[in-house]
Amino acid sequence: MARPSLFGLLLIAPALAMIGALFLYPLGFSLASAFTAPGGGFSLMHFDKAYELYSTDILFTLFIVITSTILTGILSVTIAGILTLGETPWLVAALRNLYRWPLFIPFIVAAQCMRTFLAKNGLMNNTIVGMGLMEPLQATSLLDWRGIIITFVWKQVPFVTLMLAGAMASLDRATIEAGRNLGASRLRVLIELVLPQVSQTLLVGLVLSFVTMLSVLSVPMMVAGSQPTMLTVDMAFRINSYGDYATANALGVISYLISGMAAWIYLRHNVKREAAA
Amino acid sequence: MTGNLHTLPSASGHTRLRNLRAEAPSASGARFWSFGGTVLKILGLAVFAFLLFGPLANLVLWSVAERWYTPFKLPVSYGTRYWEVVFRPTGDAMSSLMTSVSIACLTVLVALAVSVPAGYALARLKLPWRTALMILFLLPQAFPSVAIYINVARVFYSLGLTGTITGVVLVHAAHGLVYSVWIAAAAFAAVDRDLELAARNIGASPLRTFFTITLPLAMPGIMASAIFVFLESLDEFTGTFFVGVPQVTTLPLLLYNASMGGNYQIASITALILLVPSVLFMIVIERFLKADVLSKVGQ
Amino acid sequence: MHKTLFAAGLAAALLTGTAHAQTLNVATAGDQNMVDYIKDYLGPLFEKSHPGVKVVAVGTGPGDGGSQKIFEKLDAQKKAGSATSDFDVVVVHQKAAGTLAKDGLIEKYTDKIPTGKLATRDTATNSLGTDVSGYVMPMFHSQTAIAYNPDLIKTPPSTYAELRDWVQKNPKQFGYNGIKGGMSGVAFVTGWVSAFGGDAAKLEKGPYDAATKATWDKAMADLKEFNKNVVITPGNAGTLDMLNRGEIAMGPVWVDMFYTWKTEGKLPPNMRVKLVSPGMPGQPMYYAIPEKSAQEKLAAEFIALATSPDVQADGIVKRFNWYPGIDAKNLEGKLDQAAWNQLFADITPADLSSNGKPFPIGPYFNDILETYEKKVAN
Repeated sequence: MARPSLFGLLLIAPALAMIGALFLYPLGFSLASAFTAPGGGFSLMHFDKAYELYSTDILFTLFIVITSTILTGILSVTIAGILTLGETPWLVAALRNLYRWPLFIPFIVAAQCMRTFLAKNGLMNNTIVGMGLMEPLQATSLLDWRGIIITFVWKQVPFVTLMLAGAMASLDRATIEAGRNLGASRLRVLIELVLPQVSQTLLVGLVLSFVTMLSVLSVPMMVAGSQPTMLTVDMAFRINSYGDYATANALGVISYLISGMAAWIYLRHNVKREAAA
Repeated sequence: MTGNLHTLPSASGHTRLRNLRAEAPSASGARFWSFGGTVLKILGLAVFAFLLFGPLANLVLWSVAERWYTPFKLPVSYGTRYWEVVFRPTGDAMSSLMTSVSIACLTVLVALAVSVPAGYALARLKLPWRTALMILFLLPQAFPSVAIYINVARVFYSLGLTGTITGVVLVHAAHGLVYSVWIAAAAFAAVDRDLELAARNIGASPLRTFFTITLPLAMPGIMASAIFVFLESLDEFTGTFFVGVPQVTTLPLLLYNASMGGNYQIASITALILLVPSVLFMIVIERFLKADVLSKVGQ
Repeated sequence: MHKTLFAAGLAAALLTGTAHAQTLNVATAGDQNMVDYIKDYLGPLFEKSHPGVKVVAVGTGPGDGGSQKIFEKLDAQKKAGSATSDFDVVVVHQKAAGTLAKDGLIEKYTDKIPTGKLATRDTATNSLGTDVSGYVMPMFHSQTAIAYNPDLIKTPPSTYAELRDWVQKNPKQFGYNGIKGGMSGVAFVTGWVSAFGGDAAKLEKGPYDAATKATWDKAMADLKEFNKNVVITPGNAGTLDMLNRGEIAMGPVWVDMFYTWKTEGKLPPNMRVKLVSPGMPGQPMYYAIPEKSAQEKLAAEFIALATSPDVQADGIVKRFNWYPGIDAKNLEGKLDQAAWNQLFADITPADLSSNGKPFPIGPYFNDILETYEKKVAN
């Protein structure tokens, strides 16, 4: 930490310049419209409008993204845990080769797949009915908020697991072995020994997932009907139907505040950790 | 394994170890449990595989389905008609694919070139408003992309960057910075400072320390971020449209049109084609990584 | 590995320079089949009559979003002061056509082409209340209608009122896509407001009166009630998708999409459409020439070919089952009776003329959408 911060600024300058030139500057053009009244002058009227029309959608978005992030976290830890601590070689090998595939499917395709998979008469229900595990009449469509969450989790679990399993693999095996030798169950080793050491990676993965899910348009658009819906759909709708960039950008500001909060929570945690270390 | 954002085992690991009390498992009925366990594992794996590949099975089915409608549970007739449509001479699928892959590779290079130093600075050096800077990099994900790209296009038109690969790569790279900067920062933060100090003590220059100690240790994380940047670029279409079209057309543009419009066959085939470079890139990276990790073992 | 990357970069650099004597860039909003139509049918046809010319087509996505992107790109280019525009011909929806004409981003050309006089329908000159005469030629007309599965519904409702009662008796059997998922849902809603909200003619012709929207309260409240018994589908394609799997028995669709899905084997072959009274909206897709096109002459010739009776008969009606953009009487003798009958099998010309409505004029259109957002969706 003793090095001059000038050098640090020099190192970060290209990245900052890129964000500045390719996002901040162009965003400035349209962002100003979110804060100006039609006649000119500062105004928060577009935020009023955004709130009046989309308050439900803001809550809905928060609910979807937070739930998906939590589920993603739990599942990624489970899978990465089995990969690291699993003692059944065939299971670990199978899992390692399986879990990654959704990573390569773009969101828009994932949405398309899920739309036909999760529907009432979709492939999932048809298979379950075909296996005699369910009566056809019991089949219900999951194409609503549940569909969105399932798609997000399906897509993001491999992302977080990929980062997490890597971090776990590079832990000192001796500590884990010692824990096992002391007779601790694998679950305890995972939660008490492994997880604290990779919590950093987990959190980064979850923050990035959170922000990514917040920005996806195709999934809420294609998987679920539009009442209520996520903010990205509302933004696209404001622009495409009314050419109303002001309200769309006001929603953008709200969405950025939400992702900023998630990042801030992570960074605070980080600072505390460093202080404690 | 890729994605090695590791925290090196710290002293805290050993203290935690001491807290674990021995709870010897009972030996009785072990065989029963192990049999039951295997059945459970197989079942669990089967359910997992079903949930994982079920949606993908749809993709494959649609790519060869020529007719599929209610009340039929599976396609009524199969065929390769739509593959012929995608690969027809006027379809330009292959050249768009080549363009997409080239752009994605260049994007990875550009994104890594700027985010490795940035990540190092964010993790190791004293920076004013570090938190604010980190949050700044999330910006590209939050706002409606159309609103940003129309203005980028306006700027690029006056610079003559529209319709060039350079322009598209820049736009994609800026978008990928979210992943590469954040992950690089985390990867550098996880490198053990003691190792760097040791190198400095035996007389290595700061630059040499960085290239021989810090960078290799952070490499797995950086490579993981490369994969995400690659995939992000391969899926991007809004920026490509505003900055690249009509001179530069990529495969996701076709995919987007087909998928949003419900042309399932075309969309599924395009997605399957895009799967090839994604998986290849992952394999290449893993090869590269494994060699790297192995070389460290000998040291 | 780095070598591979650099090689790929080099390949990319080489790929950019596509050499052709002249290139005509066509951007089209709408579904993939619009792009295919130009790439596979119209483009090659034009290239045959114009040796050395290459037609490049690019799609910008379905719905108004696709048209909006074309507008934004041309607008950005104009504001940046470019000498020529990226596109030579654009194919857009009504809303964008009005804006493009008002902002001077497209030019008047229909007087210059021989087919200019073949389209005389109101929509050839009036786009949601904006005068676009001279700026646009309709590529084809499309119409929304209610698709239904005759196996499940023997006598489909023929009016909005009957439909409302039917839905009450058969909950969750009717689906539409709200207003954020595409125009077929929007069309259903504007049709609803025309049917139950009072003065339909005023919505289509104007003049605009901001107080009108207060008179829709009852209609909107009814719609909210109605929505409780319907399925909200994800998008235009989402409605067709649910019809495909038999999850809903009825829903509003674009007739052109409906026929495309049927020919692509994604709908049961016996599925039919019906245009209910007092009417549902339809709209054309327009051909337009950007004001700064580098290939003005070629572009005009391209559109002249695209709107010629032969191409309209063979390409639009026969291949796609779309309603022609130019007046139908110009197609007489160009089509065999079978193709003609096929086009009007479900919706007769009489249905079309009495129940095929334009969308409301721009300001009413926006009012309807926003009132829906406030009173029905929220």
